[in-house]
Amino acid sequence: MYTRSRESPLLVWITVLIALVLTLLPLPQWLAIAWPNFVLLAVLYWSTMTPAAGGMLIGFAAGLAVDVLGGAQLGQHAFAFSLLTYLAIKLHLLTRSKPIFEQAIFALLALLIYEATLWAIDGFSNRSTGTWMRWMHIPVGAILWPIVVGLLGRLHSPR
Amino acid sequence: MALAGGAMNRPSARDLAPGPRFFLFAILSLVLMYFDQKDGWGERIRYGLQAAAYPIQVTIGSPGRLWSASREFFRSRGSLREENETLRLRERELALRTLRLNALEAENMRLRGLDTMSLPLVKKSAVVNVVNADLGRLRQRLVIDAGQGSGLYRTQTLVDTHGLVGQLARVGPWSSEVMLITDPEAAVSVEIVRNGVRSVVVGTGDDNLLDLSLLPATADVQVGDELVTSGLGGVFPAGIPVGTVTESRRDPDELLAYARARPAASLSASRQLLALWFEPTHPSAPSDPRLTETLPAPTVASPVTVAPSATDTPEPAPAATAPAGNAPAPARRPRGGPR
Repeated sequence: MYTRSRESPLLVWITVLIALVLTLLPLPQWLAIAWPNFVLLAVLYWSTMTPAAGGMLIGFAAGLAVDVLGGAQLGQHAFAFSLLTYLAIKLHLLTRSKPIFEQAIFALLALLIYEATLWAIDGFSNRSTGTWMRWMHIPVGAILWPIVVGLLGRLHSPR
Repeated sequence: MALAGGAMNRPSARDLAPGPRFFLFAILSLVLMYFDQKDGWGERIRYGLQAAAYPIQVTIGSPGRLWSASREFFRSRGSLREENETLRLRERELALRTLRLNALEAENMRLRGLDTMSLPLVKKSAVVNVVNADLGRLRQRLVIDAGQGSGLYRTQTLVDTHGLVGQLARVGPWSSEVMLITDPEAAVSVEIVRNGVRSVVVGTGDDNLLDLSLLPATADVQVGDELVTSGLGGVFPAGIPVGTVTESRRDPDELLAYARARPAASLSASRQLLALWFEPTHPSAPSDPRLTETLPAPTVASPVTVAPSATDTPEPAPAATAPAGNAPAPARRPRGGPR
Protein backbone atom coordinates (compact mmCIF):
# COMPACT_ATOMS: atom_id res chain seq x y z
CA MET A 1 0.00 0.00 0.00
CA TYR A 2 1.19 3.42 -0.93
CA THR A 3 1.44 5.71 2.04
CA ARG A 4 4.46 7.96 1.70
CA SER A 5 3.80 11.40 0.28
CA ARG A 6 6.35 11.18 -2.46
CA GLU A 7 4.46 13.55 -4.75
CA SER A 8 6.53 16.37 -6.03
CA PRO A 9 5.06 19.74 -5.11
CA LEU A 10 5.35 20.52 -8.80
CA LEU A 11 2.59 18.03 -9.61
CA VAL A 12 0.39 19.63 -6.97
CA TRP A 13 0.96 23.15 -8.28
CA ILE A 14 0.33 22.14 -11.87
CA THR A 15 -2.93 20.35 -11.12
CA VAL A 16 -4.13 23.28 -9.03
CA LEU A 17 -3.24 25.67 -11.85
CA ILE A 18 -5.17 23.59 -14.38
CA ALA A 19 -8.11 23.43 -11.99
CA LEU A 20 -7.93 27.21 -11.62
CA VAL A 21 -8.19 27.71 -15.37
CA LEU A 22 -11.09 25.23 -15.54
CA THR A 23 -12.90 27.02 -12.74
CA LEU A 24 -12.68 30.45 -14.30
CA LEU A 25 -13.55 29.50 -17.89
CA PRO A 26 -16.15 31.88 -19.27
CA LEU A 27 -19.36 29.89 -19.62
CA PRO A 28 -22.93 30.43 -20.69
CA GLN A 29 -25.18 31.38 -17.81
CA TRP A 30 -27.06 28.06 -17.53
CA LEU A 31 -23.83 26.10 -17.32
CA ALA A 32 -22.09 28.55 -15.00
CA ILE A 33 -24.70 27.93 -12.29
CA ALA A 34 -23.85 24.25 -11.98
CA TRP A 35 -20.14 24.62 -12.72
CA PRO A 36 -18.12 23.07 -9.89
CA ASN A 37 -15.31 24.94 -8.21
CA PHE A 38 -12.51 22.74 -9.52
CA VAL A 39 -9.69 24.61 -7.87
CA LEU A 40 -11.36 24.22 -4.50
CA LEU A 41 -11.78 20.48 -5.03
CA ALA A 42 -8.16 20.13 -6.12
CA VAL A 43 -6.87 22.02 -3.09
CA LEU A 44 -9.14 19.99 -0.84
CA TYR A 45 -7.89 16.76 -2.36
CA TRP A 46 -4.21 17.58 -1.98
CA SER A 47 -4.50 18.86 1.55
CA THR A 48 -6.47 15.80 2.58
CA MET A 49 -4.38 13.14 0.84
CA THR A 50 -0.90 14.61 1.03
CA PRO A 51 -0.84 17.46 3.52
CA ALA A 52 2.93 17.66 3.22
CA ALA A 53 2.94 18.23 -0.52
CA GLY A 54 -0.14 20.40 -0.56
CA GLY A 55 0.09 22.50 2.51
CA MET A 56 -1.53 25.73 3.44
CA LEU A 57 0.64 27.83 1.17
CA ILE A 58 -0.97 26.41 -1.95
CA GLY A 59 -4.41 27.03 -0.50
CA PHE A 60 -3.54 30.64 0.21
CA ALA A 61 -1.95 31.11 -3.21
CA ALA A 62 -4.92 29.57 -5.02
CA GLY A 63 -7.30 31.77 -3.06
CA LEU A 64 -5.29 34.86 -3.86
CA ALA A 65 -5.27 33.91 -7.54
CA VAL A 66 -9.06 33.56 -7.47
CA ASP A 67 -9.27 36.98 -5.83
CA VAL A 68 -7.17 38.64 -8.49
CA LEU A 69 -8.63 36.82 -11.48
CA GLY A 70 -12.21 36.97 -10.29
CA GLY A 71 -11.96 40.58 -9.20
CA ALA A 72 -13.15 39.88 -5.68
CA GLN A 73 -12.05 41.77 -2.62
CA LEU A 74 -8.35 41.05 -2.23
CA GLY A 75 -7.82 38.44 0.49
CA GLN A 76 -11.40 37.21 0.63
CA HIS A 77 -10.94 33.90 -1.16
CA ALA A 78 -7.42 33.68 0.22
CA PHE A 79 -8.90 33.63 3.71
CA ALA A 80 -11.59 31.08 2.86
CA PHE A 81 -9.07 28.84 1.10
CA SER A 82 -6.66 29.02 4.04
CA LEU A 83 -9.46 28.10 6.42
CA LEU A 84 -10.49 25.17 4.25
CA THR A 85 -6.92 23.93 3.91
CA TYR A 86 -6.40 24.23 7.64
CA LEU A 87 -9.50 22.15 8.39
CA ALA A 88 -8.59 19.58 5.75
CA ILE A 89 -5.05 19.18 7.11
CA LYS A 90 -6.26 19.09 10.68
CA LEU A 91 -8.80 16.38 9.93
CA HIS A 92 -7.00 14.49 7.19
CA LEU A 93 -6.34 11.45 9.33
CA LEU A 94 -10.02 11.21 10.08
CA THR A 95 -11.39 11.83 6.62
CA ARG A 96 -9.05 10.14 4.20
CA SER A 97 -9.47 6.67 5.64
CA LYS A 98 -13.24 6.81 5.26
CA PRO A 99 -15.10 5.21 2.37
CA ILE A 100 -15.55 7.40 -0.63
CA PHE A 101 -19.17 8.30 0.01
CA GLU A 102 -18.50 9.47 3.53
CA GLN A 103 -15.65 11.48 2.09
CA ALA A 104 -18.09 13.11 -0.29
CA ILE A 105 -20.16 14.18 2.71
CA PHE A 106 -17.05 15.67 4.33
CA ALA A 107 -16.37 17.46 1.05
CA LEU A 108 -19.92 18.81 1.08
CA LEU A 109 -19.41 20.19 4.57
CA ALA A 110 -16.06 21.68 3.63
CA LEU A 111 -17.51 23.42 0.57
CA LEU A 112 -20.37 24.69 2.68
CA ILE A 113 -17.97 26.18 5.23
CA TYR A 114 -16.00 27.75 2.41
CA GLU A 115 -18.99 29.37 0.75
CA ALA A 116 -20.45 30.47 4.08
CA THR A 117 -17.16 32.20 4.90
CA LEU A 118 -17.23 34.08 1.61
CA TRP A 119 -20.86 34.94 2.15
CA ALA A 120 -20.13 36.30 5.62
CA ILE A 121 -17.21 38.40 4.37
CA ASP A 122 -19.41 39.78 1.59
CA GLY A 123 -22.00 40.68 4.18
CA PHE A 124 -19.54 42.31 6.57
CA SER A 125 -18.00 44.44 3.85
CA ASN A 126 -21.38 45.63 2.58
CA ARG A 127 -21.17 43.90 -0.74
CA SER A 128 -23.91 42.05 -2.54
CA THR A 129 -24.29 38.60 -1.01
CA GLY A 130 -25.58 37.14 -4.24
CA THR A 131 -28.46 34.81 -4.83
CA TRP A 132 -29.09 31.12 -4.23
CA MET A 133 -27.02 30.42 -7.33
CA ARG A 134 -23.75 30.92 -5.51
CA TRP A 135 -24.48 27.85 -3.37
CA MET A 136 -25.14 25.57 -6.32
CA HIS A 137 -21.54 24.53 -6.82
CA ILE A 138 -21.53 22.82 -3.41
CA PRO A 139 -23.73 19.76 -4.17
CA VAL A 140 -22.15 19.51 -7.62
CA GLY A 141 -18.70 19.48 -6.08
CA ALA A 142 -19.68 16.83 -3.54
CA ILE A 143 -21.13 14.62 -6.27
CA LEU A 144 -17.95 15.04 -8.29
CA TRP A 145 -15.68 14.23 -5.34
CA PRO A 146 -15.29 10.49 -6.21
CA ILE A 147 -14.28 11.45 -9.74
CA VAL A 148 -11.76 13.98 -8.43
CA VAL A 149 -10.29 11.34 -6.15
CA GLY A 150 -10.17 8.86 -9.00
CA LEU A 151 -8.47 11.27 -11.39
CA LEU A 152 -5.95 12.87 -9.07
CA GLY A 153 -5.30 9.55 -7.31
CA ARG A 154 -4.23 8.10 -10.62
CA LEU A 155 -1.68 10.87 -11.04
CA HIS A 156 0.35 10.04 -7.98
CA SER A 157 -0.23 6.40 -7.20
CA PRO A 158 2.80 4.14 -7.56
CA ARG A 159 3.30 2.29 -10.79
CA MET B 1 -9.05 5.20 -3.27
CA ALA B 2 -5.39 4.73 -3.52
CA LEU B 3 -4.51 6.08 -0.14
CA ALA B 4 -7.12 4.78 2.23
CA GLY B 5 -5.94 3.03 5.36
CA GLY B 6 -2.44 1.74 5.94
CA ALA B 7 0.25 3.21 8.09
CA MET B 8 -0.21 6.94 8.25
CA ASN B 9 2.30 9.23 6.79
CA ARG B 10 4.14 11.32 9.34
CA PRO B 11 3.80 14.93 8.28
CA SER B 12 6.98 16.77 7.56
CA ALA B 13 8.33 19.45 9.84
CA ARG B 14 6.72 22.41 8.14
CA ASP B 15 3.29 20.93 8.63
CA LEU B 16 3.71 20.01 12.26
CA ALA B 17 1.78 22.98 13.46
CA PRO B 18 -1.05 23.81 11.11
CA GLY B 19 -2.60 26.08 13.72
CA PRO B 20 0.06 28.80 13.72
CA ARG B 21 0.40 28.52 9.96
CA PHE B 22 -3.30 29.10 9.53
CA PHE B 23 -3.08 32.01 11.94
CA LEU B 24 -0.35 33.54 9.81
CA PHE B 25 -2.25 33.18 6.55
CA ALA B 26 -5.49 34.36 8.12
CA ILE B 27 -3.80 37.53 9.39
CA LEU B 28 -2.24 38.05 5.97
CA SER B 29 -5.64 37.71 4.29
CA LEU B 30 -7.25 40.12 6.73
CA VAL B 31 -4.48 42.66 6.16
CA LEU B 32 -5.04 42.33 2.40
CA MET B 33 -8.77 42.80 2.84
CA TYR B 34 -8.21 45.86 5.00
CA PHE B 35 -5.89 47.47 2.46
CA ASP B 36 -8.18 46.61 -0.41
CA GLN B 37 -10.99 48.51 1.28
CA LYS B 38 -8.79 51.59 1.57
CA ASP B 39 -8.18 52.21 -2.07
CA GLY B 40 -4.57 53.24 -2.76
CA TRP B 41 -2.59 50.30 -1.42
CA GLY B 42 -4.87 47.52 -2.57
CA GLU B 43 -4.67 48.90 -6.09
CA ARG B 44 -0.91 48.82 -5.97
CA ILE B 45 -0.78 45.22 -4.76
CA ARG B 46 -3.37 44.29 -7.34
CA TYR B 47 -1.38 46.00 -10.06
CA GLY B 48 1.53 43.64 -9.47
CA LEU B 49 -0.64 40.57 -9.03
CA GLN B 50 -2.58 41.34 -12.16
CA ALA B 51 0.62 41.36 -14.16
CA ALA B 52 1.43 37.92 -12.81
CA ALA B 53 -2.07 36.68 -13.52
CA TYR B 54 -2.18 37.87 -17.13
CA PRO B 55 -0.93 34.58 -18.67
CA ILE B 56 -3.68 32.73 -16.82
CA GLN B 57 -6.27 35.19 -18.05
CA VAL B 58 -5.13 34.68 -21.61
CA THR B 59 -5.31 30.89 -21.13
CA ILE B 60 -8.80 31.16 -19.71
CA GLY B 61 -9.97 33.23 -22.63
CA SER B 62 -8.28 31.10 -25.28
CA PRO B 63 -10.99 28.44 -25.94
CA GLY B 64 -13.45 31.13 -26.93
CA ARG B 65 -10.93 32.90 -29.13
CA LEU B 66 -9.86 29.64 -30.72
CA TRP B 67 -13.49 28.91 -31.57
CA SER B 68 -14.08 32.25 -33.24
CA ALA B 69 -10.72 32.13 -35.00
CA SER B 70 -11.45 28.71 -36.49
CA ARG B 71 -14.90 29.88 -37.55
CA GLU B 72 -13.25 32.83 -39.22
CA PHE B 73 -10.80 30.51 -40.97
CA PHE B 74 -13.41 28.17 -42.42
CA ARG B 75 -15.69 30.82 -43.81
CA SER B 76 -16.55 30.49 -47.43
CA ARG B 77 -15.45 32.84 -50.13
CA GLY B 78 -19.04 33.67 -50.94
CA SER B 79 -19.93 34.86 -47.47
CA LEU B 80 -16.76 36.92 -47.32
CA ARG B 81 -17.61 38.61 -50.60
CA GLU B 82 -21.10 39.29 -49.35
CA GLU B 83 -19.76 40.82 -46.18
CA ASN B 84 -17.32 42.88 -48.19
CA GLU B 85 -20.20 44.22 -50.25
CA THR B 86 -22.28 45.22 -47.22
CA LEU B 87 -19.27 46.83 -45.60
CA ARG B 88 -18.58 48.86 -48.71
CA LEU B 89 -22.16 50.07 -48.84
CA ARG B 90 -22.02 50.96 -45.18
CA GLU B 91 -18.76 52.79 -45.63
CA ARG B 92 -20.25 54.96 -48.38
CA GLU B 93 -23.28 55.69 -46.26
CA LEU B 94 -21.13 56.61 -43.27
CA ALA B 95 -18.88 58.85 -45.35
CA LEU B 96 -21.92 60.78 -46.52
CA ARG B 97 -23.22 61.08 -43.01
CA THR B 98 -19.87 62.28 -41.72
CA LEU B 99 -19.85 65.00 -44.33
CA ARG B 100 -23.23 66.20 -43.17
CA LEU B 101 -22.35 65.90 -39.51
CA ASN B 102 -19.18 67.94 -39.93
CA ALA B 103 -21.19 70.78 -41.38
CA LEU B 104 -23.75 70.45 -38.59
CA GLU B 105 -21.10 70.46 -35.90
CA ALA B 106 -19.51 73.57 -37.33
CA GLU B 107 -22.85 75.28 -37.43
CA ASN B 108 -23.68 74.18 -33.91
CA MET B 109 -20.41 75.56 -32.58
CA ARG B 110 -20.95 78.82 -34.37
CA LEU B 111 -24.44 79.17 -32.99
CA ARG B 112 -23.15 78.66 -29.50
CA GLY B 113 -20.45 81.18 -30.00
CA LEU B 114 -17.53 78.87 -29.51
CA ASP B 115 -14.43 79.14 -31.61
CA THR B 116 -12.93 75.83 -30.61
CA MET B 117 -14.78 74.03 -33.33
CA SER B 118 -11.72 72.80 -35.13
CA LEU B 119 -10.82 70.47 -32.26
CA PRO B 120 -12.35 67.03 -32.53
CA LEU B 121 -13.68 65.55 -29.32
CA VAL B 122 -11.80 62.30 -29.65
CA LYS B 123 -8.11 63.08 -29.64
CA LYS B 124 -6.91 59.54 -30.07
CA SER B 125 -8.35 56.07 -30.17
CA ALA B 126 -6.81 52.63 -30.00
CA VAL B 127 -8.16 49.23 -30.88
CA VAL B 128 -7.91 46.77 -27.99
CA ASN B 129 -8.66 43.05 -28.02
CA VAL B 130 -10.85 41.24 -25.54
CA VAL B 131 -8.95 38.34 -24.05
CA ASN B 132 -11.39 37.20 -21.40
CA ALA B 133 -14.99 37.79 -20.44
CA ASP B 134 -16.69 37.44 -17.09
CA LEU B 135 -20.41 37.83 -17.66
CA GLY B 136 -22.04 36.69 -14.46
CA ARG B 137 -24.97 37.98 -12.49
CA LEU B 138 -22.72 39.81 -10.04
CA ARG B 139 -20.01 40.93 -12.42
CA GLN B 140 -20.00 41.99 -16.02
CA ARG B 141 -16.39 42.52 -16.90
CA LEU B 142 -14.05 42.08 -19.82
CA VAL B 143 -10.28 41.77 -19.77
CA ILE B 144 -8.46 43.53 -22.60
CA ASP B 145 -4.92 43.10 -23.82
CA ALA B 146 -3.69 46.65 -23.20
CA GLY B 147 -2.78 48.39 -19.99
CA GLN B 148 -0.72 51.19 -18.61
CA GLY B 149 1.99 50.37 -21.14
CA SER B 150 -0.35 51.55 -23.89
CA GLY B 151 -1.29 54.69 -22.02
CA LEU B 152 -4.67 53.51 -20.79
CA TYR B 153 -6.00 55.11 -17.65
CA ARG B 154 -8.63 54.28 -15.08
CA THR B 155 -12.22 55.34 -15.93
CA GLN B 156 -11.32 55.54 -19.60
CA THR B 157 -14.27 55.25 -21.98
CA LEU B 158 -14.55 52.21 -24.24
CA VAL B 159 -16.91 51.91 -27.17
CA ASP B 160 -17.56 49.52 -29.99
CA THR B 161 -18.97 50.39 -33.39
CA HIS B 162 -22.52 50.56 -32.05
CA GLY B 163 -22.20 52.39 -28.77
CA LEU B 164 -20.89 52.65 -25.26
CA VAL B 165 -19.32 49.50 -23.81
CA GLY B 166 -18.07 50.65 -20.44
CA GLN B 167 -15.15 52.13 -18.61
CA LEU B 168 -11.86 50.82 -17.30
CA ALA B 169 -12.18 49.70 -13.72
CA ARG B 170 -8.61 48.46 -13.25
CA VAL B 171 -5.49 49.06 -15.23
CA GLY B 172 -2.63 46.61 -15.01
CA PRO B 173 0.78 46.86 -16.67
CA TRP B 174 -0.32 45.15 -19.88
CA SER B 175 -3.93 44.23 -19.33
CA SER B 176 -6.98 46.04 -18.01
CA GLU B 177 -10.43 45.26 -16.75
CA VAL B 178 -13.46 46.85 -18.37
CA MET B 179 -16.56 47.38 -16.30
CA LEU B 180 -19.42 46.96 -18.74
CA ILE B 181 -22.43 49.25 -18.52
CA THR B 182 -24.45 46.16 -17.58
CA ASP B 183 -22.32 45.50 -14.50
CA PRO B 184 -24.47 45.77 -11.37
CA GLU B 185 -22.07 48.41 -10.05
CA ALA B 186 -22.13 50.52 -13.19
CA ALA B 187 -24.23 53.64 -13.62
CA VAL B 188 -24.29 55.94 -16.63
CA SER B 189 -26.08 59.26 -16.78
CA VAL B 190 -28.10 59.33 -19.98
CA GLU B 191 -30.67 61.39 -21.75
CA ILE B 192 -33.39 60.50 -24.19
CA VAL B 193 -32.58 61.82 -27.64
CA ARG B 194 -36.22 62.53 -28.48
CA ASN B 195 -36.94 64.94 -25.64
CA GLY B 196 -33.82 65.41 -23.52
CA VAL B 197 -35.25 63.76 -20.41
CA ARG B 198 -32.34 62.77 -18.19
CA SER B 199 -31.97 59.62 -16.20
CA VAL B 200 -29.40 57.19 -14.88
CA VAL B 201 -28.94 53.78 -16.43
CA VAL B 202 -27.73 51.04 -14.13
CA GLY B 203 -26.55 47.56 -14.98
CA THR B 204 -28.61 44.50 -14.18
CA GLY B 205 -26.04 41.73 -14.43
CA ASP B 206 -27.64 40.61 -17.67
CA ASP B 207 -25.57 41.61 -20.70
CA ASN B 208 -28.69 42.42 -22.69
CA LEU B 209 -30.59 44.51 -20.20
CA LEU B 210 -30.25 47.94 -18.63
CA ASP B 211 -32.41 49.49 -15.96
CA LEU B 212 -33.50 53.12 -16.08
CA SER B 213 -33.56 54.12 -12.48
CA LEU B 214 -34.62 57.39 -10.88
CA LEU B 215 -37.13 58.18 -13.59
CA PRO B 216 -40.19 59.98 -12.22
CA ALA B 217 -43.53 58.40 -13.02
CA THR B 218 -44.49 61.49 -14.97
CA ALA B 219 -41.46 61.28 -17.26
CA ASP B 220 -42.07 60.88 -20.95
CA VAL B 221 -40.46 57.58 -21.92
CA GLN B 222 -41.61 55.40 -24.77
CA VAL B 223 -40.54 52.08 -26.12
CA GLY B 224 -38.02 52.67 -28.88
CA ASP B 225 -36.53 55.82 -27.39
CA GLU B 226 -32.81 56.15 -28.03
CA LEU B 227 -30.57 56.82 -25.05
CA VAL B 228 -27.28 58.66 -25.26
CA THR B 229 -24.82 59.66 -22.57
CA SER B 230 -25.65 63.06 -21.16
CA GLY B 231 -22.14 63.89 -20.00
CA LEU B 232 -23.40 64.83 -16.56
CA GLY B 233 -21.51 62.25 -14.55
CA GLY B 234 -18.18 63.64 -15.64
CA VAL B 235 -16.96 60.21 -16.71
CA PHE B 236 -18.37 59.77 -20.19
CA PRO B 237 -18.59 62.54 -22.77
CA ALA B 238 -22.00 63.54 -24.02
CA GLY B 239 -23.64 61.99 -27.03
CA ILE B 240 -22.45 58.37 -27.12
CA PRO B 241 -25.29 55.92 -27.87
CA VAL B 242 -26.10 53.77 -24.85
CA GLY B 243 -29.20 51.81 -25.78
CA THR B 244 -32.82 51.65 -26.80
CA VAL B 245 -35.79 51.55 -24.44
CA THR B 246 -37.50 48.18 -24.75
CA GLU B 247 -40.02 48.35 -21.96
CA SER B 248 -41.75 51.20 -20.20
CA ARG B 249 -44.47 50.80 -17.62
CA ARG B 250 -46.13 53.25 -15.33
CA ASP B 251 -47.94 52.38 -12.17
CA PRO B 252 -50.00 55.29 -10.79
CA ASP B 253 -49.21 54.19 -7.24
CA GLU B 254 -45.48 54.27 -7.75
CA LEU B 255 -43.28 57.33 -7.57
CA LEU B 256 -40.89 56.08 -10.21
CA ALA B 257 -41.50 54.80 -13.70
CA TYR B 258 -40.30 51.34 -14.64
CA ALA B 259 -38.26 51.31 -17.80
CA ARG B 260 -35.69 48.97 -19.27
CA ALA B 261 -33.39 49.26 -22.21
CA ARG B 262 -31.23 47.12 -24.45
CA PRO B 263 -27.57 48.18 -24.81
CA ALA B 264 -26.61 49.56 -28.19
CA ALA B 265 -23.19 47.91 -28.15
CA SER B 266 -22.95 44.16 -28.57
CA LEU B 267 -21.40 43.63 -25.18
CA SER B 268 -20.92 39.88 -25.10
CA ALA B 269 -20.00 39.44 -28.76
CA SER B 270 -17.41 42.16 -29.33
CA ARG B 271 -13.89 40.87 -29.65
CA GLN B 272 -12.43 44.29 -30.36
CA LEU B 273 -13.15 47.56 -28.64
CA LEU B 274 -12.05 51.14 -29.09
CA ALA B 275 -10.40 52.95 -26.21
CA LEU B 276 -10.88 56.71 -26.46
CA TRP B 277 -8.78 59.67 -25.38
CA PHE B 278 -10.56 62.99 -25.34
CA GLU B 279 -9.46 66.48 -26.15
CA PRO B 280 -9.63 68.02 -22.68
CA THR B 281 -10.52 71.50 -23.94
CA HIS B 282 -13.49 70.28 -25.94
CA PRO B 283 -16.78 71.37 -24.37
CA SER B 284 -18.19 67.85 -24.53
CA ALA B 285 -15.17 66.15 -22.97
CA PRO B 286 -15.51 64.47 -19.59
CA SER B 287 -15.19 67.29 -17.13
CA ASP B 288 -13.63 65.72 -14.08
CA PRO B 289 -10.09 67.09 -13.98
CA ARG B 290 -8.74 63.79 -12.69
CA LEU B 291 -10.06 62.05 -15.77
CA THR B 292 -8.52 64.26 -18.38
CA GLU B 293 -4.93 64.32 -17.30
CA THR B 294 -3.84 67.79 -18.33
CA LEU B 295 -6.97 69.84 -18.10
CA PRO B 296 -6.38 73.58 -17.85
CA ALA B 297 -8.98 75.87 -16.34
CA PRO B 298 -12.38 74.81 -17.64
CA THR B 299 -13.44 76.67 -20.73
CA VAL B 300 -17.11 76.19 -20.03
CA ALA B 301 -19.05 76.19 -16.83
CA SER B 302 -18.57 72.90 -15.06
CA PRO B 303 -21.63 70.69 -15.35
CA VAL B 304 -24.26 71.01 -12.68
CA THR B 305 -25.33 67.70 -11.26
CA VAL B 306 -29.00 67.98 -11.88
CA ALA B 307 -31.28 65.91 -9.71
CA PRO B 308 -33.41 63.64 -11.85
CA SER B 309 -36.55 65.31 -10.58
CA ALA B 310 -35.56 68.40 -12.51
CA THR B 311 -36.50 66.70 -15.74
CA ASP B 312 -40.13 67.74 -15.58
CA THR B 313 -39.46 70.53 -18.02
CA PRO B 314 -37.58 68.73 -20.74
CA GLU B 315 -35.45 70.97 -22.86
CA PRO B 316 -34.89 69.90 -26.43
CA ALA B 317 -31.19 69.17 -26.09
CA PRO B 318 -29.53 67.70 -29.16
CA ALA B 319 -27.40 64.64 -28.79
CA ALA B 320 -23.94 66.13 -28.70
CA THR B 321 -24.35 69.26 -26.66
CA ALA B 322 -22.08 70.30 -23.89
CA PRO B 323 -23.43 69.57 -20.45
CA ALA B 324 -24.98 72.77 -19.14
CA GLY B 325 -23.06 75.14 -21.35
CA ASN B 326 -22.73 78.78 -20.45
CA ALA B 327 -24.14 79.94 -23.76
CA PRO B 328 -27.66 81.28 -23.61
CA ALA B 329 -30.42 79.90 -25.77
CA PRO B 330 -29.11 79.63 -29.30
CA ALA B 331 -30.19 82.60 -31.34
CA ARG B 332 -31.69 81.77 -34.68
CA ARG B 333 -29.44 84.09 -36.56
CA PRO B 334 -27.55 82.78 -39.52
CA ARG B 335 -24.16 84.15 -38.55
CA GLY B 336 -22.36 84.79 -35.30
CA GLY B 337 -23.86 83.58 -32.06
CA PRO B 338 -24.12 85.66 -28.90
CA ARG B 339 -20.74 86.56 -27.50
